[in-house]
Amino acid sequence: MTIDASHDHQPLASLTETGGKTRRLAVHAVMILLSFLSIFPIYWMVVTSLRPENEIFSTAMWPTNPTLGNYVFVLTRIPMLQMLLNTTIVAALTAGLQVVTGLFAAYALVRWKMRLSGVIHGLIALSWLVPFQVTMIPNYVLASRLGLLDTLTGLILPNASHAFAVLLLYHAMRSFPTEILEAARIDGAKSWKILWQIVAPNMGAPIASLSIIAFISAWNEYFWPLLLSRKPENSVVQIGLQMFMTQEGNLWGPLMAAAALASLPILIIYLVLQRHVIESFMKSGIR
Amino acid sequence: MTDIQADFARPLTIARAPAKTCRQREAFTISPWLYLTPALVLLFVWTYIPLVEAFQLSFYQWNMLPTATPRYVGLKNYERLMALPEMRNALWNTLYYILGLFPMSVIIPLFVAIWTQDLTGRARMIYRGLIFVPMIVAPVVAAILWRWLLNEDQGLITLGLEQLGLGRIGFLTDPNYALATLTWITGWKLIGFSTLLFSAANAGINPSYIEAARIDGASRWGIIRDIRLPLLSPTILLLSMMTILFGAQWSFAYINVLTNGGPLKSTTNIFYLLWEYGFQTMSAGWSSAAGMIAFLGFAILAAGCMWLTKRFAVYDN
Repeated sequence: MTIDASHDHQPLASLTETGGKTRRLAVHAVMILLSFLSIFPIYWMVVTSLRPENEIFSTAMWPTNPTLGNYVFVLTRIPMLQMLLNTTIVAALTAGLQVVTGLFAAYALVRWKMRLSGVIHGLIALSWLVPFQVTMIPNYVLASRLGLLDTLTGLILPNASHAFAVLLLYHAMRSFPTEILEAARIDGAKSWKILWQIVAPNMGAPIASLSIIAFISAWNEYFWPLLLSRKPENSVVQIGLQMFMTQEGNLWGPLMAAAALASLPILIIYLVLQRHVIESFMKSGIR
Repeated sequence: MTDIQADFARPLTIARAPAKTCRQREAFTISPWLYLTPALVLLFVWTYIPLVEAFQLSFYQWNMLPTATPRYVGLKNYERLMALPEMRNALWNTLYYILGLFPMSVIIPLFVAIWTQDLTGRARMIYRGLIFVPMIVAPVVAAILWRWLLNEDQGLITLGLEQLGLGRIGFLTDPNYALATLTWITGWKLIGFSTLLFSAANAGINPSYIEAARIDGASRWGIIRDIRLPLLSPTILLLSMMTILFGAQWSFAYINVLTNGGPLKSTTNIFYLLWEYGFQTMSAGWSSAAGMIAFLGFAILAAGCMWLTKRFAVYDN
């Protein structure tokens, strides 16, 4: 970007100083507008959540008498902490299982040359294109037959493997030098040992990317929990949030507090791992 | 990203070197299949078998009660659906969502990325950190945030518009505005992320091309048109494909949380219709038939998109 940009500056330099400055200002104006659009709704959620009830409709840009009352209300009214814990379990296990099943499948496709590997690869890739809403009824029937309704297992199981995970790790693994694999094989190492001692430790970056994306996607997942969940205490935070909205939709302070609590873990992850989160999402396109 | 994109375009061509080692002729081994088992079993149990079952169900009438037996009705579900104005309405709305998303997922990000390419250093990092945020906000949270901002009585935007003398707009309650509002919320999550993708691709363009064109006397716009846009075409096509294939699915959460398809069915799309038939009116047959129509339609679109990508994407080799 920088190299490119410096070249692009040349015609600007030949313009008058003010022309360059105007353009520079316009560039910042565009980015500030876009940043404002992106952040303001979230800022407004936090501000509203901190307002006392009698000031909830205030249009002041910051909370004049900040209070945590709305948070206390949410925590006592719905099993918020339980739902946050459930969501953490579901998201962490989903991410972990996607890494493991993805590693296995990618390893099988890279390590062995099978006649059917093209077909298998295609089947895995194409499953991405099947909209979940199309398979939801058979999935729901199966889940209820297996007794998975209203359980965390039911929320995790269908997402324990994902085409995206397999493809991401497959592409990362394909660039792994085959000579090393061959050498280990000739030394008599079993494939299991090669996977865990040689391949997996070198897949740190793609595994981290995949974990970040899978965790965030699972945290934000809405549709499948909507079908499976019955009681809030057995459900994830997105469903709790929707139930709360349906019941107390016009209690804006508590509703914003609930939304803030539901987003807090993801926003903390983002604050800590910002660069990694952005790069993971960018490298892998939209999920 | 490009890897996965390439993958979409050619899912069946794996780089398989011609038989040069004896590895190729290795006797059948069970090991790879053991490694593939978890992924394949999950994939078949939760995606492919259900897909076949949904296809079968589309020829049956069934109210989803375990006690009731599905009754075979042949093509009736399809015939009924095709005659239903609801279905046509939902298909039009689906198209509206997809087309409405384009400015926010492709067009504006593309030009913002080109326009702001000179940004460097700290400012660039700060903007980058801010505009990415909507991407990781949960759809339910995004829905609630906008429901508050656009609330008809006390929402900040409603009050602001009133101050400007534009009156109150029922963003989510007026059939003339609700669909546009939901499209906007869906696009809000994408606009910053798409901008970042375009910025990255734009920064990856080899500067010597730009230099050469400039020496030949190309104008700024000429450079954009003849060099930047063609070299950005893989990203343009990727984001267009994502918008076409997944745009209507992304809007599902907003429809369900905010409008339930209303007012006056103005925000229903095909995926919401599937859900309504399936889990609200409990007609599994209709839902499955509509699902098959949607699946087939999107499969054809996907094939078309891949063909376009192959045909028109310019790669800098």
